[in-house]
Amino acid sequence: MSALKQGTAILATVLLSALVAVGCGGSDDDKGSGGGKTGDTSKVKTSDDAPKGDITMCMGKDTGGVHKPALAKFNDENPGANATLVELPESADEQRTQLVQRLKAKSKECDVLALDVVWTAEFAAQGWLADASDIVADREDEFIASTLDTVRYDGKEWAVPFNSNAGFLYYRTDQVDEVPATWQDAYAQGKAGDGLVYQGSRYEGLTVHFLELLYARGGDVLNEDGTKSTADSDETREVLQFMVDGIKDGSVPRSVLTMKEEEARRAFENGSATFMRNWPYAYTLGQEAPAIKGKFDVTAFPKFEGGESASVLGGYNLAVSEYSDNPSGAAAAINFLTGEEQQITYMKAATPSVLTSVYSDASVEKALPFAANLLSAIEQGRSRPVSPVYPQISEAISTNVYEALSGDASVDEAVTKMQSDIEKALATF
Amino acid sequence: MTSTPIASATGPAAPDTPPRRTSRTSSYGRSERRLAAILLAPSMLLIALVAAYPIGYAVWLSLNEYSVRVPGLSRFAGTRNYEAAFSGGFWEALFNTLVFTVASVSLELVLGLAMALAMHSAFRGRGVLRATVLVPWATITAVTAITWRSIFEPGVGFAPQLLAKVGIGEDIVWLGERGYAMSVLILADVWKTAPFMALLLLAGLQVIPEDVYEAARVDGATVWQRFVRITLPLLVPAILVALIFRTLDALRIFDLPAVLTQGSNGTNVLSLLAYQELTQNRLIGLGAALSVLTFAVVMIVSFLYIRFVGGNIKSLAKD
Repeated sequence: MSALKQGTAILATVLLSALVAVGCGGSDDDKGSGGGKTGDTSKVKTSDDAPKGDITMCMGKDTGGVHKPALAKFNDENPGANATLVELPESADEQRTQLVQRLKAKSKECDVLALDVVWTAEFAAQGWLADASDIVADREDEFIASTLDTVRYDGKEWAVPFNSNAGFLYYRTDQVDEVPATWQDAYAQGKAGDGLVYQGSRYEGLTVHFLELLYARGGDVLNEDGTKSTADSDETREVLQFMVDGIKDGSVPRSVLTMKEEEARRAFENGSATFMRNWPYAYTLGQEAPAIKGKFDVTAFPKFEGGESASVLGGYNLAVSEYSDNPSGAAAAINFLTGEEQQITYMKAATPSVLTSVYSDASVEKALPFAANLLSAIEQGRSRPVSPVYPQISEAISTNVYEALSGDASVDEAVTKMQSDIEKALATF
Repeated sequence: MTSTPIASATGPAAPDTPPRRTSRTSSYGRSERRLAAILLAPSMLLIALVAAYPIGYAVWLSLNEYSVRVPGLSRFAGTRNYEAAFSGGFWEALFNTLVFTVASVSLELVLGLAMALAMHSAFRGRGVLRATVLVPWATITAVTAITWRSIFEPGVGFAPQLLAKVGIGEDIVWLGERGYAMSVLILADVWKTAPFMALLLLAGLQVIPEDVYEAARVDGATVWQRFVRITLPLLVPAILVALIFRTLDALRIFDLPAVLTQGSNGTNVLSLLAYQELTQNRLIGLGAALSVLTFAVVMIVSFLYIRFVGGNIKSLAKD
């Protein structure tokens, strides 16, 4: 019967494409890096000679249009050098994928790598970064101390802080009489008003917000040297219960379960929330939103009852690739981009600086009225767990917190599972 | 469009091939088979290169562990990756994938058939209709997903507000709850791929000879009788092909849930799970094991299709 045969032939074709897709999925991530082991990596020296040669920077898409002019300026000042930008995708996950592919192939394309603060340990462990201790050592005092924690791994510095970020509590000045002193207070006021929104989707953003509360309560998910999980604690239970209760009693709308930063911002800009946890970028945008324009302000995170206040650092670091042909040129470019003059320019474009001095610059204070708030938020900021298996740890946190928030698991179940998931991640080969 | 390769198979003229086995012993047959083998060799080699090698490699990867700490270090893992997959998210993802596949493909079949019948009937503007119906299918899946996410976004999208007005799902966060999230996922997929189903079925409809209907009319068959007794049986081969296409696609669904929900709230499907382990967590062995398992599921389902649905065609054709 030929219909059947034809069906089989078509089936075979479809299957074939399925097979190839599976095979390629596997072979994409070939083990074959065999790169240098940690400790074998070269050390970048800063040199007094003028930088020379081609310097390629690989970083996320230049959406703000700030990096290209910066490099043009660098090239003007250093006629012997030619710095160019390779723009990676906008999303951090995509940037990471692209960088990993290049580095596994030992590509010499990128001299300078822009790394999300949470990748630094992982990339260093893989032997993909040149030791940047000397660059940092010369300028250690300039940086906000907390930002340097994000470049350290295994007792060395592997990158130079480039920009930082810390969350704010946004509040409606027409609804809030007294700025909340604690998260509990913020939830209570939110319950009376239109609620508090945050990024509650199951992804990295939820991990960040959970850690903000957990750090504030005095808890942590890893022990000092990052070898054991400490997630199963009274602090974790208390914080998670607090978040779950918030959703149950209406202090936090259930819709946060589908929100990332952008959805939270839209809800706040619509005027449908009294409080919002978000990054500084929402401030400038909020001034253009008719429903809330002039009716909101920001504050550094409040304390958690029985604890302190804490924030979690975001941002990017700049590292020299182990495979770079021009490490001294790369170091010079990094020093230029992280220097005070350039950092002031970035800061005015709403990219928070890593240098303390920038925040007291008169022109910055004028352009960004919340500069002092931001500095204290970054100073009290802590880095996320530093570990080569951070992606798995983050997944263990966001997945289990989400299960509890959505009511699929009890707080107790979620915390127990979080602990065992993190233990499992730490035991990864 | 008078006939398509898919539909021509249903034509009455397909000649039966003579039984081959009788010539097996003759020397003529043997040399002919040798020639056939030589002629087929290049394509077999190509298939081996582009299909067999990657599959074999994926299986090999799934039997090893690759260190996330020390570059280049790997060790043989035996079945450990598979054990990890089975004790991890595999079963839930399989369940979600199957729910999604059964629900979306059956809805698409019903809707697609209705659309195909509408497009098949002669009326003015039929060409325009055929073109417009295909628009959702031509839309990039990621864009479709973003669109549906906005449609169901609480407080912003129109769907929750509209549904609340007619008394459905007030206070429901559609993408934030088990069951509801899956239904939005299915809805988005049906919206996007029902037109594709319709197109495949339309091709099947067009090769059913008009004189069969005419004869039925002369015999006094009603519209319903003509549909059930003529259209459906003659359409079965086209339906089978369409079902195979859509089922295998649905089993490998990735982009829609990746953008719509990132796999939260009971929408984590097999491909998404494999992707997360492979690229986000860089667990190459586990990711490969999940890919191999996904492949096995797809193989089993296709085998069942050929075995049972294919057999039905045979018996139908004999009637």
